[in-house]
Amino acid sequence: MSEEHNPEQGNRILEVSLGATTAEGGTRERVYTVGGAGTFPFLGAGPAAGHPPRIALEICDDTRTWSPIVLREVGDLAGDTGAWAAAAETTFGADMVRLFFTSTRQRGFDDFASLGTTMEEVIGATKYPLIVEGSTEPGIDSEVYRRIGEAAEGERILLGTAEADRYRSVAASALAYGHALVAQTPIDINLAKQLNILLHETGLPPERIVIDPYTGTLGYGFEYSYSVMERIRSVALQGDADLARPMISSAIDSLNVKEVREADPETADEVAIRWEFYAAFSALVAGAEIVCVRHPGTVALLREALPALQEGSHPQEEAYGDESA
Amino acid sequence: MAMKALDIYKLLPKTNCKKCGFPTCLAFAMKLASGKVDVDLCPDLDEQTRELLGGATRPPIRLVGIGAGERSFAVGEEFVLYRHERTFYHQPGLMMQVADTWPGERIERIMTRVRDETFHRVGEDLSVDGIAFRCESGDADQFGGVVGMVEACASLPEVVIADDPEAQAAALAHCGNFQPLIHAACADTVEAMCDLARKYGCALAVRAGDLEELKRLVGLCRDRGIENLMLDPAPATLRDFLVRSVEIRRRAVERTDPDLGYPVVFDTVPIDLPDAATALGILKYAGVIIIDELAPSSTMAALTLRQNIYTDPQKPIQVTPGLYPVNAPTGSAPVLMTVNFSLTYFTLLGYLEAAGIPCYLFIVDTEGMSVLTAVAGGKLTETVVADAIKKTDLENRVDHRILIIPGYAAPLSGKIEEETGWEVRVGPRDAAEIGEYLETGWEA
Ligand code: B12
Ligand code: SF4
Repeated sequence: MSEEHNPEQGNRILEVSLGATTAEGGTRERVYTVGGAGTFPFLGAGPAAGHPPRIALEICDDTRTWSPIVLREVGDLAGDTGAWAAAAETTFGADMVRLFFTSTRQRGFDDFASLGTTMEEVIGATKYPLIVEGSTEPGIDSEVYRRIGEAAEGERILLGTAEADRYRSVAASALAYGHALVAQTPIDINLAKQLNILLHETGLPPERIVIDPYTGTLGYGFEYSYSVMERIRSVALQGDADLARPMISSAIDSLNVKEVREADPETADEVAIRWEFYAAFSALVAGAEIVCVRHPGTVALLREALPALQEGSHPQEEAYGDESA
Repeated sequence: MAMKALDIYKLLPKTNCKKCGFPTCLAFAMKLASGKVDVDLCPDLDEQTRELLGGATRPPIRLVGIGAGERSFAVGEEFVLYRHERTFYHQPGLMMQVADTWPGERIERIMTRVRDETFHRVGEDLSVDGIAFRCESGDADQFGGVVGMVEACASLPEVVIADDPEAQAAALAHCGNFQPLIHAACADTVEAMCDLARKYGCALAVRAGDLEELKRLVGLCRDRGIENLMLDPAPATLRDFLVRSVEIRRRAVERTDPDLGYPVVFDTVPIDLPDAATALGILKYAGVIIIDELAPSSTMAALTLRQNIYTDPQKPIQVTPGLYPVNAPTGSAPVLMTVNFSLTYFTLLGYLEAAGIPCYLFIVDTEGMSVLTAVAGGKLTETVVADAIKKTDLENRVDHRILIIPGYAAPLSGKIEEETGWEVRVGPRDAAEIGEYLETGWEA
């Protein structure tokens, strides 16, 4: 019997809690715990099954680089970040919103005040835990992450993204304002391990780290990402504590690939949804605890499929019951 | 359990007589250990050793062929649970169903789609593999009629889905000689189904929701001399399929349960989550996946996923480095440098052909890494480029000294100029913009 299938071995993925209720100093109506599984995804029963995976809808504060297919679908919402975030939870049925501060990725960005404002707006508009992505430019990282972290203080957001050569600003903000953090490395199990060790040295507790092994899009590197997720899960269950963390997966370039971009306008939505779905669904099967997509239609399709993968009839609801305030 | 080469060697005659085609018994032992050859190649083994080694070294999952002719395929002969442990070898066949109660036009439309629809990716033509006939009418003649109608216009691999041996017989009368898969025998019908499988020499699926029952059915078929088997674990949900298929694969590759050493069939239709079920079948070890009519957007994504999962994780698909003329270029045509990763090459080629501009693709050896990956991993450097220029004799093949490099390789432009003496132009990052870039005067 191979080790990863032996539940007696007792190795579990660490549990990470996202969101904070009023009692805990935040304003969320739900708190999610992700991780906890002691087997490969959806194979375990009882406690070894771990917590249900979560589906996040990605939105942004500056839509200039966002897929026109999604923008057409969400219409006016794209101009109102708060309303878009609220719709993600209510209309589109996502478990959570992943807000990208894409405005910070424009050359010469300096409107730092807007970050706090937008952050507060989105917090006010939503009830569930949040994932928030800041800048990718070392020169402004420290200011950006400070503003976002501060505005979300107490909410225990999942803040991203830390990378090996630029993690200090994100980690500092997560530490100062009590957030969890996304640790991303490019499709390599050893790099993932190293980054977690580096982060450990910043003093950030392991139960506040979610691994992002980087997801290449379907047809454009997904095969590597799928296997790296399986490998991470496998060594984690064999006892490698540095990798026994929940994983987040977002095939971020899905809507930019040739097959989607060049799809016939009449079927573009269908193609976009399928391209995202096949990667996100496969990531769940490989071990991702949080999957992120951009087209609302993909959320619906994932929502429908998830219960059929899980033990029992309504595991999602049960989990909410256990964990809500 | 699988045996190590040295343990196998101990049981061989050690005469190095070469009759097996290998120079030494040890060489043969090593091939056996990796599951690459059959033990029967050595003629000097006693029956007992042959059986022992056979059990330990034959592929843990039997290879089963479906269909005859060009589109036929084989599944099974897999060795691992996770593709990172080695690779997956035989991708699952996707079989689109038609029911015998459907109107003729609908059946014909699906048949035509399966026959003609292909989707081109990374130098491969991807398509759904065949047709699955489902008997819903309960009427043997009607079922046979539909099979006969499709059989007359398409030679595609087939699955015949009928619980009633009489309906099976009626269908097989039309298509039995083309190696369809008979689906499926259960406790009551195993004898009659075995007779049909024997008569036509085709593969037979056995179906049961319980692994012990599946094993029992396998045993019954084998007792009747039927070895070309597949297993349908009769899942009612995605999770049923996942749990059962993983367990079957695990026991098979660990060789703890030889009766489960057959490829799995996944009938996704009853589950009613077509995309999720198709993806799950691809990921988790199905050999044949029976699907309902999926829109082209779904089959395109499913076939891409299958292509991804069934590539060897150790080696990226590569093209041979060199100079490739596109659209009949002359000596003054632009030279576009790129890497030898297949995906990059085919993506670029697609855009260049569409743009219709004569040019040369100058492919340097980055060990199959994409542009960004090669730059980040140090596989694309000025020395690599300089070497490639020499090897392809580029200086004598074009009458200029201008090299267009990918936008993502911009950080290397100065170094390449220095090392090669060629003038470097940085092209766009996105290949979609390449036509426009070349048209608006790369010569500047
Ligand atoms: C799959 C993948 C891998 C696979 C390798 C796949 C392969 N065969 O290349 C693996 C897992 C092995 C890998 C490894 C690494 N990777 Co990697 N990988 C990717 C991923 C997800 C997709 C790459 C891909 O397939 N792209 C698709 C092809 C078609 O793109 P392309 O070759 O660039 O071609 C396009 C353009 O460049 C253009 N083009 C191409 N040729 C030409 C020519 C001309 C003239 C023009 C004008 C245009 C043009 O057209 C194409 C289509 O638009 C990318 C992320 C991403 N979004 O790109 C990361 C990525 C490239 N990897 C990255 C890194 C850091 C690495 C590693 C160094 C990490 C490590 N382990 O140390 C290693 C290096 C490998 C090594 N040791 O050499 C980083 C690079 C960071 C950076 N910006 O520099 C990326 C961006 C991920 C990230 N965001 O962190 N990687
Ligand atoms: S045929 Fe048998 S005895 Fe002869 S070399 Fe091969 S393994 Fe050895």
